[in-house]
Amino acid sequence: MNALRGQMELWKLHLAVIIIGVIAELIGIRKIPLGIGAILLLPLLYAFVMAALMNPNVMPKFGKFIREKEVKAASPLIVVAIMPFIAKFGTTIGPAIETIIEAGPALLLQELGNLGTIVLAFPLAVWGLKMGREAIGATFSIAREPNLAIIADRYTLKSPEGTGVMGVYVIGTLFGTFIFAILASLFASSELFDPRALAMACGIGSGSMMAACTGALTEAVPAMKDEILALAGASNLLTYATGLYAGLFIALPVVEKLYNATAGKRDHAAAQNKEA
Amino acid sequence: MANSAVAKQNTRPQINLVDHAVTLVIVCLVGLIMNTVGPAIPLADGFVGMIVIYLISMVGLILTRFSPFYLPSVAWISLVGIVATLPWTPGSEWIVEQAKSVNFLALATPALAYAGFAIAKKEIEVAKHSGWKLVIIACLVFFGTYAGSVLVAEGILRLQGI
Repeated sequence: MNALRGQMELWKLHLAVIIIGVIAELIGIRKIPLGIGAILLLPLLYAFVMAALMNPNVMPKFGKFIREKEVKAASPLIVVAIMPFIAKFGTTIGPAIETIIEAGPALLLQELGNLGTIVLAFPLAVWGLKMGREAIGATFSIAREPNLAIIADRYTLKSPEGTGVMGVYVIGTLFGTFIFAILASLFASSELFDPRALAMACGIGSGSMMAACTGALTEAVPAMKDEILALAGASNLLTYATGLYAGLFIALPVVEKLYNATAGKRDHAAAQNKEA
Repeated sequence: MANSAVAKQNTRPQINLVDHAVTLVIVCLVGLIMNTVGPAIPLADGFVGMIVIYLISMVGLILTRFSPFYLPSVAWISLVGIVATLPWTPGSEWIVEQAKSVNFLALATPALAYAGFAIAKKEIEVAKHSGWKLVIIACLVFFGTYAGSVLVAEGILRLQGI
Protein backbone atom coordinates (compact mmCIF):
# COMPACT_ATOMS: atom_id res chain seq x y z
CA MET A 1 0.00 0.00 0.00
CA ASN A 2 2.94 2.27 -0.71
CA ALA A 3 0.95 3.92 -3.45
CA LEU A 4 -1.81 4.87 -1.01
CA ARG A 5 0.67 6.27 1.51
CA GLY A 6 2.34 8.23 -1.29
CA GLN A 7 -0.95 9.84 -2.27
CA MET A 8 -1.90 10.49 1.37
CA GLU A 9 1.31 12.47 1.77
CA LEU A 10 -0.02 14.65 -1.02
CA TRP A 11 -3.24 15.43 0.86
CA LYS A 12 -2.58 19.15 0.57
CA LEU A 13 -2.53 18.93 -3.21
CA HIS A 14 -5.70 16.85 -3.46
CA LEU A 15 -7.49 19.02 -0.91
CA ALA A 16 -6.53 22.16 -2.81
CA VAL A 17 -7.82 20.61 -6.04
CA ILE A 18 -11.14 19.74 -4.37
CA ILE A 19 -11.62 23.23 -2.90
CA ILE A 20 -10.67 24.98 -6.13
CA GLY A 21 -12.79 22.57 -8.17
CA VAL A 22 -15.86 23.08 -5.96
CA ILE A 23 -15.51 26.87 -6.19
CA ALA A 24 -15.12 26.62 -9.97
CA GLU A 25 -18.16 24.36 -10.30
CA LEU A 26 -20.24 26.69 -8.10
CA ILE A 27 -19.38 29.67 -10.31
CA GLY A 28 -20.54 27.56 -13.25
CA ILE A 29 -20.60 28.38 -16.94
CA ARG A 30 -20.72 32.09 -17.76
CA LYS A 31 -21.39 33.77 -21.05
CA ILE A 32 -19.65 36.98 -22.10
CA PRO A 33 -21.50 38.54 -25.03
CA LEU A 34 -19.31 40.18 -27.65
CA GLY A 35 -20.33 42.04 -30.79
CA ILE A 36 -19.84 39.09 -33.14
CA GLY A 37 -20.77 36.34 -30.73
CA ALA A 38 -20.22 35.19 -27.19
CA ILE A 39 -17.29 33.72 -25.30
CA LEU A 40 -18.06 30.96 -22.83
CA LEU A 41 -16.18 30.73 -19.58
CA LEU A 42 -16.03 27.22 -18.17
CA PRO A 43 -15.31 25.90 -14.67
CA LEU A 44 -12.16 24.18 -15.96
CA LEU A 45 -10.73 27.57 -16.92
CA TYR A 46 -11.34 29.04 -13.44
CA ALA A 47 -9.86 25.91 -11.87
CA PHE A 48 -6.69 26.29 -13.94
CA VAL A 49 -6.31 29.98 -13.11
CA MET A 50 -6.95 29.50 -9.38
CA ALA A 51 -4.48 26.62 -9.21
CA ALA A 52 -1.88 28.62 -11.13
CA LEU A 53 -2.30 31.51 -8.69
CA MET A 54 -1.55 29.14 -5.79
CA ASN A 55 1.46 27.72 -7.63
CA PRO A 56 4.72 28.95 -6.03
CA ASN A 57 6.40 29.12 -9.45
CA VAL A 58 3.78 31.53 -10.76
CA MET A 59 3.13 33.52 -7.58
CA PRO A 60 6.16 33.17 -5.29
CA LYS A 61 4.50 35.36 -2.65
CA PHE A 62 1.46 33.14 -2.25
CA GLY A 63 3.41 29.89 -2.33
CA LYS A 64 2.80 28.93 1.25
CA PHE A 65 0.36 26.03 1.05
CA ILE A 66 1.56 24.38 -2.15
CA ARG A 67 5.30 23.85 -2.42
CA GLU A 68 7.74 22.41 -4.94
CA LYS A 69 6.99 18.86 -3.71
CA GLU A 70 3.32 19.20 -4.67
CA VAL A 71 4.21 20.86 -7.98
CA LYS A 72 6.41 17.90 -8.91
CA ALA A 73 3.71 15.41 -7.91
CA ALA A 74 0.98 17.25 -9.81
CA SER A 75 2.53 16.69 -13.23
CA PRO A 76 2.01 12.89 -13.45
CA LEU A 77 -1.40 13.35 -11.81
CA ILE A 78 -2.66 15.34 -14.82
CA VAL A 79 -2.28 12.21 -16.93
CA VAL A 80 -4.23 10.09 -14.45
CA ALA A 81 -6.88 12.79 -13.96
CA ILE A 82 -7.48 12.93 -17.70
CA MET A 83 -8.10 9.14 -17.89
CA PRO A 84 -11.70 9.13 -16.51
CA PHE A 85 -12.39 12.04 -18.84
CA ILE A 86 -11.13 10.05 -21.84
CA ALA A 87 -13.12 6.99 -20.69
CA LYS A 88 -16.26 9.13 -20.55
CA PHE A 89 -15.60 10.35 -24.10
CA GLY A 90 -15.19 6.76 -25.22
CA THR A 91 -18.67 5.92 -23.91
CA THR A 92 -20.15 8.69 -26.07
CA ILE A 93 -18.51 7.29 -29.22
CA GLY A 94 -19.85 3.71 -29.00
CA PRO A 95 -23.57 4.56 -29.15
CA ALA A 96 -22.93 7.03 -31.99
CA ILE A 97 -20.92 4.59 -34.08
CA GLU A 98 -23.22 4.99 -37.08
CA THR A 99 -22.81 8.77 -37.05
CA ILE A 100 -19.05 8.28 -36.79
CA ILE A 101 -18.90 5.89 -39.74
CA GLU A 102 -21.11 8.17 -41.80
CA ALA A 103 -18.78 11.06 -41.05
CA GLY A 104 -15.71 8.84 -41.54
CA PRO A 105 -14.25 10.56 -44.63
CA ALA A 106 -14.58 14.00 -43.03
CA LEU A 107 -13.09 12.71 -39.78
CA LEU A 108 -10.08 11.19 -41.50
CA LEU A 109 -9.35 14.06 -43.86
CA GLN A 110 -9.86 16.88 -41.38
CA GLU A 111 -6.60 15.71 -39.84
CA LEU A 112 -5.00 17.32 -42.90
CA GLY A 113 -6.52 20.59 -41.74
CA ASN A 114 -3.55 20.66 -39.39
CA LEU A 115 -1.67 22.01 -42.36
CA GLY A 116 -3.69 25.23 -41.94
CA THR A 117 -1.07 26.32 -39.45
CA ILE A 118 1.50 26.41 -42.27
CA VAL A 119 -0.70 28.64 -44.42
CA LEU A 120 -1.37 31.08 -41.62
CA ALA A 121 1.46 31.03 -39.11
CA PHE A 122 4.51 30.28 -41.27
CA PRO A 123 4.37 33.36 -43.55
CA LEU A 124 3.90 35.70 -40.61
CA ALA A 125 6.72 34.07 -38.66
CA VAL A 126 9.21 34.24 -41.52
CA TRP A 127 8.30 37.48 -43.30
CA GLY A 128 6.33 39.39 -40.72
CA LEU A 129 8.37 38.72 -37.63
CA LYS A 130 11.63 37.79 -39.38
CA MET A 131 12.09 34.69 -37.29
CA GLY A 132 14.91 32.29 -38.04
CA ARG A 133 14.82 28.52 -37.99
CA GLU A 134 12.67 28.71 -34.83
CA ALA A 135 9.82 29.24 -37.28
CA ILE A 136 10.17 25.66 -38.52
CA GLY A 137 9.57 24.15 -35.09
CA ALA A 138 6.98 26.72 -34.12
CA THR A 139 4.69 26.51 -37.13
CA PHE A 140 4.76 22.94 -38.45
CA SER A 141 2.23 21.62 -35.96
CA ILE A 142 0.05 22.31 -32.95
CA ALA A 143 3.06 21.35 -30.79
CA ARG A 144 1.73 18.60 -28.56
CA GLU A 145 3.84 15.75 -27.23
CA PRO A 146 4.12 13.68 -30.44
CA ASN A 147 5.28 16.77 -32.33
CA LEU A 148 7.87 17.53 -29.65
CA ALA A 149 9.17 14.02 -30.16
CA ILE A 150 9.50 14.57 -33.92
CA ILE A 151 11.58 17.74 -33.47
CA ALA A 152 13.61 16.24 -30.63
CA ASP A 153 14.43 13.31 -32.85
CA ARG A 154 15.39 15.33 -35.91
CA TYR A 155 16.97 18.49 -34.49
CA THR A 156 17.11 17.97 -30.68
CA LEU A 157 15.17 20.33 -28.43
CA LYS A 158 18.23 22.56 -27.88
CA SER A 159 18.36 23.59 -31.56
CA PRO A 160 16.57 26.70 -32.90
CA GLU A 161 13.82 24.40 -34.22
CA GLY A 162 13.56 22.91 -30.72
CA THR A 163 13.26 26.37 -29.18
CA GLY A 164 10.40 27.12 -31.56
CA VAL A 165 8.41 23.98 -30.84
CA MET A 166 9.03 24.24 -27.07
CA GLY A 167 7.80 27.83 -27.03
CA VAL A 168 4.53 26.96 -28.72
CA TYR A 169 4.22 23.84 -26.55
CA VAL A 170 4.54 25.84 -23.34
CA ILE A 171 2.20 28.57 -24.52
CA GLY A 172 -0.28 25.83 -25.44
CA THR A 173 0.08 24.30 -21.98
CA LEU A 174 -0.47 27.66 -20.29
CA PHE A 175 -3.13 29.20 -22.54
CA GLY A 176 -4.34 26.41 -24.85
CA THR A 177 -7.60 25.83 -22.98
CA PHE A 178 -8.48 29.53 -23.16
CA ILE A 179 -7.58 29.78 -26.83
CA PHE A 180 -9.70 26.74 -27.69
CA ALA A 181 -12.68 27.88 -25.61
CA ILE A 182 -12.58 31.23 -27.42
CA LEU A 183 -12.09 29.66 -30.87
CA ALA A 184 -15.02 27.28 -30.42
CA SER A 185 -17.26 30.01 -29.00
CA LEU A 186 -16.57 32.38 -31.88
CA PHE A 187 -16.83 29.78 -34.65
CA ALA A 188 -20.09 28.44 -33.18
CA SER A 189 -21.73 31.82 -32.75
CA SER A 190 -20.81 32.84 -36.30
CA GLU A 191 -23.29 30.11 -37.41
CA LEU A 192 -21.40 29.73 -40.69
CA PHE A 193 -20.33 26.15 -40.05
CA ASP A 194 -21.85 22.77 -39.37
CA PRO A 195 -21.52 22.07 -35.62
CA ARG A 196 -20.30 18.59 -36.55
CA ALA A 197 -17.33 20.11 -38.40
CA LEU A 198 -16.59 22.32 -35.39
CA ALA A 199 -16.77 19.25 -33.14
CA MET A 200 -14.31 17.24 -35.25
CA ALA A 201 -11.86 20.14 -35.18
CA CYS A 202 -12.09 20.15 -31.35
CA GLY A 203 -10.20 16.86 -31.31
CA ILE A 204 -6.96 18.14 -32.84
CA GLY A 205 -5.22 19.11 -29.60
CA SER A 206 -4.64 17.71 -26.14
CA GLY A 207 -7.34 16.31 -23.85
CA SER A 208 -7.79 19.57 -21.96
CA MET A 209 -8.00 21.59 -25.16
CA MET A 210 -10.72 19.21 -26.32
CA ALA A 211 -12.51 19.64 -22.99
CA ALA A 212 -12.55 23.42 -23.30
CA CYS A 213 -13.49 23.30 -26.98
CA THR A 214 -16.35 20.80 -26.67
CA GLY A 215 -17.52 22.46 -23.45
CA ALA A 216 -17.97 25.75 -25.24
CA LEU A 217 -19.51 24.05 -28.28
CA THR A 218 -22.08 21.99 -26.35
CA GLU A 219 -23.17 25.13 -24.51
CA ALA A 220 -23.62 26.95 -27.82
CA VAL A 221 -25.48 24.06 -29.51
CA PRO A 222 -27.00 22.03 -26.64
CA ALA A 223 -29.34 20.08 -28.92
CA MET A 224 -26.37 18.33 -30.55
CA LYS A 225 -24.48 17.53 -27.35
CA ASP A 226 -24.19 13.75 -27.85
CA GLU A 227 -23.09 14.06 -31.44
CA ILE A 228 -20.55 16.78 -30.61
CA LEU A 229 -18.92 14.68 -27.87
CA ALA A 230 -18.79 11.57 -30.04
CA LEU A 231 -17.25 13.32 -33.05
CA ALA A 232 -14.71 15.27 -31.01
CA GLY A 233 -13.72 12.15 -29.11
CA ALA A 234 -13.31 10.13 -32.31
CA SER A 235 -11.25 12.91 -33.88
CA ASN A 236 -9.03 13.10 -30.80
CA LEU A 237 -8.43 9.36 -30.90
CA LEU A 238 -7.53 9.58 -34.58
CA THR A 239 -5.10 12.38 -33.79
CA TYR A 240 -3.04 9.98 -31.69
CA ALA A 241 -2.84 7.66 -34.65
CA THR A 242 -2.43 10.08 -37.55
CA GLY A 243 -1.03 13.26 -35.97
CA LEU A 244 2.45 11.85 -35.67
CA TYR A 245 2.60 10.69 -39.26
CA ALA A 246 1.01 13.79 -40.76
CA GLY A 247 3.59 15.88 -38.90
CA LEU A 248 6.54 13.69 -39.75
CA PHE A 249 5.83 12.94 -43.41
CA ILE A 250 3.87 15.97 -44.60
CA ALA A 251 3.99 19.06 -42.40
CA LEU A 252 7.63 19.08 -41.36
CA PRO A 253 9.07 18.36 -44.85
CA VAL A 254 6.80 21.06 -46.33
CA VAL A 255 7.86 23.66 -43.77
CA GLU A 256 11.53 22.76 -44.20
CA LYS A 257 11.31 23.14 -48.00
CA LEU A 258 9.44 26.42 -47.69
CA TYR A 259 11.98 27.74 -45.25
CA ASN A 260 14.99 26.70 -47.29
CA ALA A 261 13.47 28.13 -50.47
CA THR A 262 12.71 31.49 -48.87
CA ALA A 263 14.23 32.54 -45.58
CA GLY A 264 17.02 30.02 -45.90
CA LYS A 265 18.45 32.05 -48.80
CA ARG A 266 18.26 35.15 -46.66
CA ASP A 267 20.21 33.40 -43.89
CA HIS A 268 22.74 32.21 -46.41
CA ALA A 269 23.22 35.69 -47.85
CA ALA A 270 23.57 37.16 -44.37
CA ALA A 271 26.19 34.59 -43.50
CA GLN A 272 28.15 35.38 -46.68
CA ASN A 273 27.97 39.12 -46.03
CA LYS A 274 29.45 38.53 -42.60
CA GLU A 275 32.30 36.54 -44.06
CA ALA A 276 32.98 39.20 -46.66
CA MET B 1 22.94 -2.96 -20.52
CA ALA B 2 22.19 0.70 -20.08
CA ASN B 3 21.39 0.99 -23.75
CA SER B 4 18.84 -1.79 -23.72
CA ALA B 5 17.13 -0.27 -20.67
CA VAL B 6 16.80 3.01 -22.54
CA ALA B 7 15.51 1.26 -25.63
CA LYS B 8 12.90 -0.58 -23.61
CA GLN B 9 11.76 2.64 -22.01
CA ASN B 10 11.39 4.23 -25.40
CA THR B 11 9.25 1.49 -26.83
CA ARG B 12 7.00 1.04 -23.84
CA PRO B 13 6.88 3.04 -20.63
CA GLN B 14 6.32 0.59 -17.78
CA ILE B 15 3.21 1.45 -15.82
CA ASN B 16 2.64 0.31 -12.27
CA LEU B 17 -0.92 -0.97 -12.22
CA VAL B 18 -1.31 -0.92 -8.41
CA ASP B 19 -0.11 2.69 -8.19
CA HIS B 20 -2.45 3.69 -10.98
CA ALA B 21 -5.37 1.79 -9.45
CA VAL B 22 -4.98 3.70 -6.18
CA THR B 23 -4.38 7.09 -7.78
CA LEU B 24 -7.32 6.58 -10.10
CA VAL B 25 -9.62 5.97 -7.08
CA ILE B 26 -8.59 9.34 -5.64
CA VAL B 27 -9.02 11.11 -8.96
CA CYS B 28 -12.45 9.51 -9.46
CA LEU B 29 -13.57 10.53 -5.96
CA VAL B 30 -12.49 14.11 -6.66
CA GLY B 31 -14.37 13.93 -9.98
CA LEU B 32 -17.45 12.60 -8.21
CA ILE B 33 -17.47 15.63 -5.90
CA MET B 34 -17.37 17.95 -8.93
CA ASN B 35 -20.10 15.93 -10.62
CA THR B 36 -22.35 16.38 -7.59
CA VAL B 37 -21.61 20.07 -7.01
CA GLY B 38 -21.59 21.48 -10.56
CA PRO B 39 -24.03 19.60 -12.82
CA ALA B 40 -26.03 18.60 -9.67
CA ILE B 41 -26.33 14.93 -10.62
CA PRO B 42 -27.63 12.86 -7.64
CA LEU B 43 -24.71 11.32 -5.75
CA ALA B 44 -26.03 7.75 -5.96
CA ASP B 45 -26.34 7.92 -9.79
CA GLY B 46 -22.98 9.61 -10.16
CA PHE B 47 -21.37 7.01 -7.90
CA VAL B 48 -22.44 4.07 -10.06
CA GLY B 49 -21.50 6.00 -13.19
CA MET B 50 -18.06 6.73 -11.78
CA ILE B 51 -17.51 3.04 -10.97
CA VAL B 52 -18.21 2.24 -14.63
CA ILE B 53 -15.78 4.97 -15.72
CA TYR B 54 -13.18 3.67 -13.27
CA LEU B 55 -13.46 0.12 -14.58
CA ILE B 56 -13.15 1.27 -18.20
CA SER B 57 -9.99 3.21 -17.29
CA MET B 58 -8.51 0.22 -15.45
CA VAL B 59 -9.18 -2.22 -18.29
CA GLY B 60 -7.52 0.30 -20.61
CA LEU B 61 -4.47 0.47 -18.33
CA ILE B 62 -4.25 -3.31 -18.11
CA LEU B 63 -4.29 -3.48 -21.92
CA THR B 64 -1.59 -0.78 -22.08
CA ARG B 65 0.56 -2.92 -19.79
CA PHE B 66 0.07 -6.34 -21.35
CA SER B 67 -0.95 -5.91 -24.99
CA PRO B 68 1.56 -7.25 -27.51
CA PHE B 69 1.93 -3.84 -29.17
CA TYR B 70 2.21 -0.34 -27.73
CA LEU B 71 -0.51 2.30 -27.76
CA PRO B 72 -0.68 5.24 -25.34
CA SER B 73 -2.88 4.52 -22.30
CA VAL B 74 -5.39 7.21 -23.28
CA ALA B 75 -5.87 5.53 -26.66
CA TRP B 76 -6.52 2.15 -25.01
CA ILE B 77 -8.92 3.67 -22.48
CA SER B 78 -10.80 5.41 -25.27
CA LEU B 79 -11.02 2.15 -27.25
CA VAL B 80 -12.32 0.23 -24.22
CA GLY B 81 -14.96 2.93 -23.66
CA ILE B 82 -16.00 2.65 -27.31
CA VAL B 83 -16.19 -1.15 -27.42
CA ALA B 84 -18.09 -1.31 -24.11
CA THR B 85 -20.79 0.98 -25.48
CA LEU B 86 -21.17 -0.29 -29.06
CA PRO B 87 -24.83 -1.17 -29.74
CA TRP B 88 -23.97 -4.84 -30.38
CA THR B 89 -21.96 -5.29 -27.16
CA PRO B 90 -24.05 -7.21 -24.61
CA GLY B 91 -25.09 -4.97 -21.72
CA SER B 92 -23.96 -1.80 -23.53
CA GLU B 93 -27.29 -0.06 -22.92
CA TRP B 94 -26.79 -0.32 -19.16
CA ILE B 95 -23.21 1.01 -19.42
CA VAL B 96 -24.30 3.95 -21.61
CA GLU B 97 -27.09 4.75 -19.13
CA GLN B 98 -24.68 4.76 -16.15
CA ALA B 99 -22.00 6.76 -17.96
CA LYS B 100 -24.62 9.45 -18.70
CA SER B 101 -24.67 10.21 -14.95
CA VAL B 102 -21.10 11.46 -15.24
CA ASN B 103 -20.62 14.92 -16.74
CA PHE B 104 -17.55 15.28 -18.94
CA LEU B 105 -16.88 18.88 -17.94
CA ALA B 106 -16.97 17.96 -14.25
CA LEU B 107 -14.21 15.45 -14.94
CA ALA B 108 -12.12 18.05 -16.75
CA THR B 109 -12.25 20.57 -13.88
CA PRO B 110 -9.93 18.66 -11.48
CA ALA B 111 -7.61 17.71 -14.36
CA LEU B 112 -7.08 21.39 -15.13
CA ALA B 113 -6.60 22.18 -11.43
CA TYR B 114 -3.78 19.62 -11.29
CA ALA B 115 -2.41 21.19 -14.47
CA GLY B 116 -2.40 24.63 -12.83
CA PHE B 117 -0.48 23.24 -9.86
CA ALA B 118 1.98 21.46 -12.15
CA ILE B 119 3.30 24.59 -13.89
CA ALA B 120 7.04 24.32 -13.43
CA LYS B 121 9.67 27.02 -13.10
CA LYS B 122 11.10 25.96 -16.43
CA GLU B 123 7.80 26.55 -18.21
CA ILE B 124 7.52 30.06 -16.82
CA GLU B 125 11.10 30.68 -17.98
CA VAL B 126 10.42 29.33 -21.47
CA ALA B 127 7.29 31.47 -21.75
CA LYS B 128 9.15 34.62 -20.64
CA HIS B 129 12.13 33.84 -22.82
CA SER B 130 10.03 33.09 -25.92
CA GLY B 131 8.67 36.59 -25.94
CA TRP B 132 5.72 38.18 -27.65
CA LYS B 133 6.66 36.97 -31.13
CA LEU B 134 6.17 33.36 -30.19
CA VAL B 135 2.91 34.15 -28.37
CA ILE B 136 1.49 35.66 -31.56
CA ILE B 137 2.76 32.71 -33.60
CA ALA B 138 1.27 30.23 -31.12
CA CYS B 139 -2.15 31.90 -31.34
CA LEU B 140 -1.97 31.74 -35.14
CA VAL B 141 -0.87 28.10 -35.00
CA PHE B 142 -3.91 27.19 -32.93
CA PHE B 143 -6.25 29.33 -35.00
CA GLY B 144 -4.83 28.00 -38.27
CA THR B 145 -5.03 24.37 -37.20
CA TYR B 146 -8.57 24.70 -35.89
CA ALA B 147 -9.80 26.66 -38.90
CA GLY B 148 -8.06 24.27 -41.29
CA SER B 149 -9.75 21.27 -39.71
CA VAL B 150 -13.13 22.98 -39.70
CA LEU B 151 -12.87 23.92 -43.38
CA VAL B 152 -11.84 20.43 -44.50
CA ALA B 153 -14.53 18.74 -42.40
CA GLU B 154 -17.18 21.23 -43.54
CA GLY B 155 -16.23 20.77 -47.19
CA ILE B 156 -16.41 16.99 -47.04
CA LEU B 157 -19.69 16.92 -45.11
CA ARG B 158 -21.18 19.14 -47.84
CA LEU B 159 -19.75 16.98 -50.62
CA GLN B 160 -21.29 13.94 -48.97
CA GLY B 161 -24.52 15.87 -48.55
CA ILE B 162 -25.07 14.65 -45.01
